[in-house]
Amino acid sequence: MTTTATTREEPPAIPASPASASASRRGRGPRADLTFAQRLSRFDVKASPYFYVAPFFVLFGLVGLFPLVYTFVVSLNNWNLLTGPGDWVGFKNYASELSDPFFWNSLFNTLSIFLLSAIPQLIAAVFIAAILDQNLRAKTFWRMSVLLPYVVTPVAVTLIFSSAFDEKYGLINNMLQAVGLHPVMWKTETFPSHIAIASMVNWRWTGYNALILLAAMQAVPRDIHESAALDGAGSFRRFFSITLPSIRPTMIFVIVTATIGGLQIFTEPKLFNPSSAVPGGPQRQYQTTVLYLWDMAFNRQNFGKASAIAWLLFLLIVIFGVLNFLISRRIASTEARVLRRRTARRLQASRILAASSEEKNV
Amino acid sequence: MKLSRRTRIAAAVAGAASFALIAAGCSSSGGGGSTSGPVTLTVTTFGTMGFDKLYAQYEKEHPNITIKATNIDTGDNALTDWQTKQAAGSGLPDVQAVEEGWLSKVMQVSDQFNDLKDYGANDIKSRWVDWKLKQATDKNGRIIGYGTDIGPEGLCYNGKLFAAAGLPSDRESVAKLFGGDNATWDDFFKVGEQYHKATGKAWYDQSGFIWNAMVNQQKEGYYTTDGKLNIENNSDLKTLWSKLAGGAAAGLSSNQTQWDWGKGKAFTDGSFATFVCPGWMLGVVQGQVKAGGGDATTGWDFANVFPGGAANWGGSFLTVPKQSKHPKEAAALAAWLTTAKSQVQTFQAAGTFPSVTAAQSDPGVTGSSDLTKFFNNAPVGQILSERAKGVVAQYKGPDDSVIQSQVFGPSVQQLDSGKANGDQAWSNAMKLLNQLVVNK
Repeated sequence: MTTTATTREEPPAIPASPASASASRRGRGPRADLTFAQRLSRFDVKASPYFYVAPFFVLFGLVGLFPLVYTFVVSLNNWNLLTGPGDWVGFKNYASELSDPFFWNSLFNTLSIFLLSAIPQLIAAVFIAAILDQNLRAKTFWRMSVLLPYVVTPVAVTLIFSSAFDEKYGLINNMLQAVGLHPVMWKTETFPSHIAIASMVNWRWTGYNALILLAAMQAVPRDIHESAALDGAGSFRRFFSITLPSIRPTMIFVIVTATIGGLQIFTEPKLFNPSSAVPGGPQRQYQTTVLYLWDMAFNRQNFGKASAIAWLLFLLIVIFGVLNFLISRRIASTEARVLRRRTARRLQASRILAASSEEKNV
Repeated sequence: MKLSRRTRIAAAVAGAASFALIAAGCSSSGGGGSTSGPVTLTVTTFGTMGFDKLYAQYEKEHPNITIKATNIDTGDNALTDWQTKQAAGSGLPDVQAVEEGWLSKVMQVSDQFNDLKDYGANDIKSRWVDWKLKQATDKNGRIIGYGTDIGPEGLCYNGKLFAAAGLPSDRESVAKLFGGDNATWDDFFKVGEQYHKATGKAWYDQSGFIWNAMVNQQKEGYYTTDGKLNIENNSDLKTLWSKLAGGAAAGLSSNQTQWDWGKGKAFTDGSFATFVCPGWMLGVVQGQVKAGGGDATTGWDFANVFPGGAANWGGSFLTVPKQSKHPKEAAALAAWLTTAKSQVQTFQAAGTFPSVTAAQSDPGVTGSSDLTKFFNNAPVGQILSERAKGVVAQYKGPDDSVIQSQVFGPSVQQLDSGKANGDQAWSNAMKLLNQLVVNK
């Protein structure tokens, strides 16, 4: 009896449901269930984030994840391009690829072109960014023009460079011969062809990386530079001791993206000699792994082996990515460790100081 | 969130505009579902086939048909294009040009091509040379292609360069110089060495085409007629290879890049004086000379002789893939493009020698045209008809193109650049053969 009286006279002490609590809080009288609108609003708050992210994952699932898994399935079979799937062979394709000299040749070419392109590119990008960071006249013009090579389609770039690097009639050999040097066999020798392709890649990506590093440099507070300048540090000293360490996270990002892109170079070697019967040079002098994979699939019609190569390349890139992550984490953790130790020591010192001053006062 | 009135209006306009854009972008283009309505036919060819003016003519005669033509630069790239689309199951045109070298691949999936007997092939099959028709018939008797051209080989030479080296430069004497009807490869290399001694320049552009010609002349090429590999212990091929190596070692090869030739400059700067010319190559030579800044006065001519006897290189067919949505119209177009009259026109435009017997003796083929004027008024059609006598098509096995490009291609390049002598290059080729074909 008393309880019913209580519910009629005053709001219940323990609400039966949150709905009635809010209802009573709003002074709406007897408790009622949540209205549809209120339930919808609650659901909206909890579930909307997932819906907003869903389109990306749906698309990734369709276009990224499904082909990844399907490629793995294809790699476990003998699969001819035209006549379709054959017998199940398990990991035989992987084993035969890992013992195929052409596969290792393509990996060597890929790594060589990658190193020849990534290292000069990043060094140049850092210096270009440092120069653009200065107070130049017509700043925006210089910054935009550095990005222009990136805007041009890679196919057009490759065709023009390929014609310039032509062994008999190309611009570069003509210039070398005009100065009296021997022409370089850009398209039929390994190292020169790697340099030529790396130069195409560098031409395209240096400006892009320079702008990203420039953005990072601009985030370095100016007063650090000023105080260093006041202390007598020249611009080079400031560059190496202040700028470079501050842009380290961005450098890591740029290195990671350059690695992933560099291990997948395809357009430049394919179009370097567009009418070459063997893609990547007659003796496969500059056949990168993706080009080798394409050749295996469409010229030699062996889809099974091509899928195996694709997965091996994928695993290689993942390994590179993990290595990058571990190295950068170690750098970060080293810093954090040093910082922690320094802070602990200072704290210790100030505590001793405080204790001794207390003793004095006491 | 309270939006100001202006923001709300702007949002509404933006929403309406984007919706209109999406609707316009997503609207499907008018489809040719019914055969009586306007039909768009897609055609894919490669190299220089000479069909361009014919498309316009056909569209005029058939106002409900629009032709969208795509031409791919080289046969190898066209093969990649066809294979990719065939494997993907979509993207093939209504009429697909197929090269003779792809036939073994095509025959593996011949059921993916329409049997043209359903669209009237039986009424017109007598127009072609019988071996051409046989090539396009699969093992179940389905005719899957209409023959366009065949490639009887003659010798292109530069009369001006010959004269400068003290060799005869008119067609008849040049034919006699090489041995006429009994011309052999030994004669060819001997005259080459003479030329090289007199001028110090190379004789031919690169060894790859010479090797192709040598192989195509054999009764059985890389495969025997029952489909077995025929290279390892083939003494004929080995002998020819050593002749080729001898020529390259003597400096007779200009080591050009096939299909590039410095964008035609090699044809105009005297780098080489002879060139292997099947019928369809005449159009290519003309194009390259023009691209290199030359013209008919550069001196290229066409002689009625070929070392080693009658030889055929290439030749194409027009097929109608099953992916086509308008097989009847496509088959009609393919049949029209291969009538005697059309083949005479393509010959005059590109030098592609007709496979239709009536066209081979047509005055349009045996008479004069832009092409003949370019080659110093050579009777190109007549020469090619004579060169076509005695041609027998060779059986092409499943990996013929891989063997040509990826087994012998690198070895030929080694010979040309002097990186290996004949024996080393041959053993490299055998190694590649085992790697790429035998143990694939």
